[in-house]
Amino acid sequence: MHGLRAYLLRRLILLLFVVVSVLTILFVLFKLLPGNPLSVFIDSNYSDEMVQRQKRLWGLDDPLWLQYVRYMWNMLTFDFGTSFFQMTPVSGIVIEKLLHTGAMIVPAVVLSVVLGALLGSWLGWRRGSRQEGAVVVGLLALRSVPSFFVGILVLMVFSYQLGWFPPGGMVSIGGHQESFWETILTLDFLGHLILPCLVLMTREITSPALLLRSTMLEVKGSDFLDILRAKGLSERRIRVHATRNALLPLVTDIAVMMGFLFQGQVLLEIIFAWPGVGRELVSALNDLDYPVAQACFFVMALIILVFNFIADVLYGFIDPRVAYD
Amino acid sequence: MAEAEILTASGARKKSGAIAAIARVLGVIGRYPTGAIGLTLILLFAVIAVIGPAVAPFGPFEATQNELGRVARLLPPSGSNLLGTTTQGIDVFSQLLWGTRVALIVGVISAIGSVILGTLIGLVSGYFGGWVDEVLMRVTDVAFGIPFLPFALVVISIAGPSLPLVILLVTLFLWRTTSRVIRAQVLTLKTRPFIWAARAAGASEFGILFIHIAPNVLPLSFLYMAIGVQGGVMLEAALSFLGFGDPNVISWGGMLNHAFRAGAMRTAWWWVVPPGLALSLFVISVFMVTRAYEELLNPRLREM
Amino acid sequence: MALLELDDLSIEYRTAAGAARAVDGVSITIDEGEYLGLVGESGCGKSTIAKAILGILPPNGAVTKGQIRYRGRDLTRLSLAELNRVRWRQIALVPQSAMNGFDPVYTIEQQINEAIETHMKWSAAEKQSRIAELFRLVGMEQSRLKDYPHQFSGGMRQRAMIAMAMVLDPNLVVADEPTTGLDVIVQDQILHRIKEIHIRLKKAMLLITHDMAVVAENCDRIAVMYAGRIVEYGAHDVFERPFHPYTMGLCNAFPDLADEGRELISIPKAPPSLLDLPTGCRFAERCPFATDLCRKLEPALVSVGDGHVAACHHVARAAEFRDSARHVRTWQAGPATA
Repeated sequence: MHGLRAYLLRRLILLLFVVVSVLTILFVLFKLLPGNPLSVFIDSNYSDEMVQRQKRLWGLDDPLWLQYVRYMWNMLTFDFGTSFFQMTPVSGIVIEKLLHTGAMIVPAVVLSVVLGALLGSWLGWRRGSRQEGAVVVGLLALRSVPSFFVGILVLMVFSYQLGWFPPGGMVSIGGHQESFWETILTLDFLGHLILPCLVLMTREITSPALLLRSTMLEVKGSDFLDILRAKGLSERRIRVHATRNALLPLVTDIAVMMGFLFQGQVLLEIIFAWPGVGRELVSALNDLDYPVAQACFFVMALIILVFNFIADVLYGFIDPRVAYD
Repeated sequence: MAEAEILTASGARKKSGAIAAIARVLGVIGRYPTGAIGLTLILLFAVIAVIGPAVAPFGPFEATQNELGRVARLLPPSGSNLLGTTTQGIDVFSQLLWGTRVALIVGVISAIGSVILGTLIGLVSGYFGGWVDEVLMRVTDVAFGIPFLPFALVVISIAGPSLPLVILLVTLFLWRTTSRVIRAQVLTLKTRPFIWAARAAGASEFGILFIHIAPNVLPLSFLYMAIGVQGGVMLEAALSFLGFGDPNVISWGGMLNHAFRAGAMRTAWWWVVPPGLALSLFVISVFMVTRAYEELLNPRLREM
Repeated sequence: MALLELDDLSIEYRTAAGAARAVDGVSITIDEGEYLGLVGESGCGKSTIAKAILGILPPNGAVTKGQIRYRGRDLTRLSLAELNRVRWRQIALVPQSAMNGFDPVYTIEQQINEAIETHMKWSAAEKQSRIAELFRLVGMEQSRLKDYPHQFSGGMRQRAMIAMAMVLDPNLVVADEPTTGLDVIVQDQILHRIKEIHIRLKKAMLLITHDMAVVAENCDRIAVMYAGRIVEYGAHDVFERPFHPYTMGLCNAFPDLADEGRELISIPKAPPSLLDLPTGCRFAERCPFATDLCRKLEPALVSVGDGHVAACHHVARAAEFRDSARHVRTWQAGPATA
């Protein structure tokens, strides 16, 4: 397992390198591009002295390298400062919004993976039939339909026209419970979850379905299945072998999907007025609340990177064939 | 198989035959039913993008007025306003025509830009290997680590929204997949006997790269260009829908943004459905063409 | 007494182009403790026979005629549950593709244990000592038990496969081209291992190969197969005094059987398509001695010696053929013209 440790270390170093690079890009953007964040606070009526004091307050007087080091340290320790507008620590805001986003994504991913895998193994089984061809092309087409338009349509029909579901939000007004966990256990939350979750699923179900279909086809043609039959194993045992082999790539797929969705659902959060991290980013940018925007962007990037890292590592653990080189 | 051969042959042909080769590829794609439908629809969109603004009954931001000289707000579809009007009395049908142009400009330019960038990086990285490859691939890793939508939103909110900026951002997003795919392809091509032969015959490194290898990855580059057009149009729509598009032009995403903010989902379906439908239709027609093209590149797909 | 009898066995594959009869009326027997070699070019149906014996024909293949009798019971008529009791416990398989014969996500030990647990109620200690015994038999290190198949070399994997085949002490081992894809030295090692096991444990073996030399060196009896049919069948006589021109051709193609200094000759052209078989002798198209009769009428197996049969119209001229078949030009001239 020496190779594994070296591999993990290399992947970890790469992860750190990419995180630092992304942070540096973010730093450069916020420092060097026109549109000084302080312009929000500095009124044109301010005297020079007041401007200087403000600058000192925000550490903008220090040399650039010191600002960079301080910024890096703060970001990597998740100390995102204080929101310009909400006057609360940014990390608290971001954690809350991440939980909200997670509350939409996790059920959607779980359902998509389970249903998608079932659909995929059925497709692998019915290979070559007319229905199979139609479903596959349908899935591929579904993957290319812009899901935010689907979201708008669904909201128009099921919420505004038919009135079956609430028109957005995560809970009804006054529906917040003591804690996040209590909130998401209410029926009210479930009612709000269904539409965005379904819309997310229409897209996310395609990937596990198509993936499992192709891996099933691959596994079905493997020689080792013949040997298992020759060994006198029951059909059930043989299916266990086949499924275990076919499921391998799916695990990676789930991790990648989760990582991607934490930033990919911005549009759905806007459409369904879901108070998640993507919607928070958009409103922070509109309000010029830079600490919040920076933090939202950073955690989204970090989540993608971490999940991709997890995907790589997991794949190595569950598939003994992966060579760590 | 035969069709795949036509393709590689077309890739290897000299520049003079390039247009003929593209025409032949399109002809082959057209033989697939999905490819034919997709091509027809794309052609239709292209025609609209070119002549649309000229035949549009109203300007993209021109308020329609009723007989009394007042702004005709939220008119349902009728003979004079085929798709009705917005809350500001703007003709939805005209906006749709203007919007097609914006969508295609963003899609096509960013697709071409990203494929040139991605192909060059993939070619150089895959062919030269060593530290060049290392540097370029780490840059690609960083590019993959940047979440596109949040990044674009941050940049636009700092630099101000404009169409060139949107195109630049979309380009920066799209090149990374192309470069990885092209690099992988170059890595396999590099070991093929005809490359050894060329080297033995005294061809220079750049000669081998651009005369012998590049033509063989072009079919793949074209595929990623088509996928890029689809991605570009989608991303522009997403940015505009979030209100980060160029406010001086109207695009499908921008129309949806205005409609969404005006609460048209409740009141005016004719304002919401057409831009979304146009977007979906365009994206699906590109999908149909790329699907046919992919089958053509990889005959195994047909059996899969 | 016959352990396994193939009786007039025919197997067909449904293909897009029609039914392909891969095995056509084959009858052979394997006695207890006997080592039978089944030789032929690739595609002649020999691997199909191996698959049929273990009931692992692909979904488009089926036994259409005849029987596969194991100790008198027709395996083709058994229910899946009954067949599963025979599989591996009585008849084990060493497959052509040991490379892919193991499930990649389980260790070798797990897979051998699975074979045991399916048929036996052994304690963990019994399982362990049995596997240890077998690893010694095939010459493998105990330490490799916990390894995954991909960590083994091709030769090692094939040894592990042989160990797995022997683990339940079966009465018959079917080895289907067990050395495909291995380098020559490893091939020899594997074949010696099998031979040794055969001698030491007195197990019946069915070795399927395209290599006449391998069969000559290892087997008690030989069946030569061509285009789905047995064309010659007997003991060592088969390659010492072949009666079928195809057997003569096969003997020419391998150095060990050829006289010193003689060139290796391969039989020109390819076997006929199973979808479109000729009316007469299936080998006529490639046979340098074919006559009009050969092209019109399919020859039946006739006795040419003690327990030695051949399917050729011209067995009487065999001695003459044998002389002539030693020369390259005989084969290069192509089939005799009428």
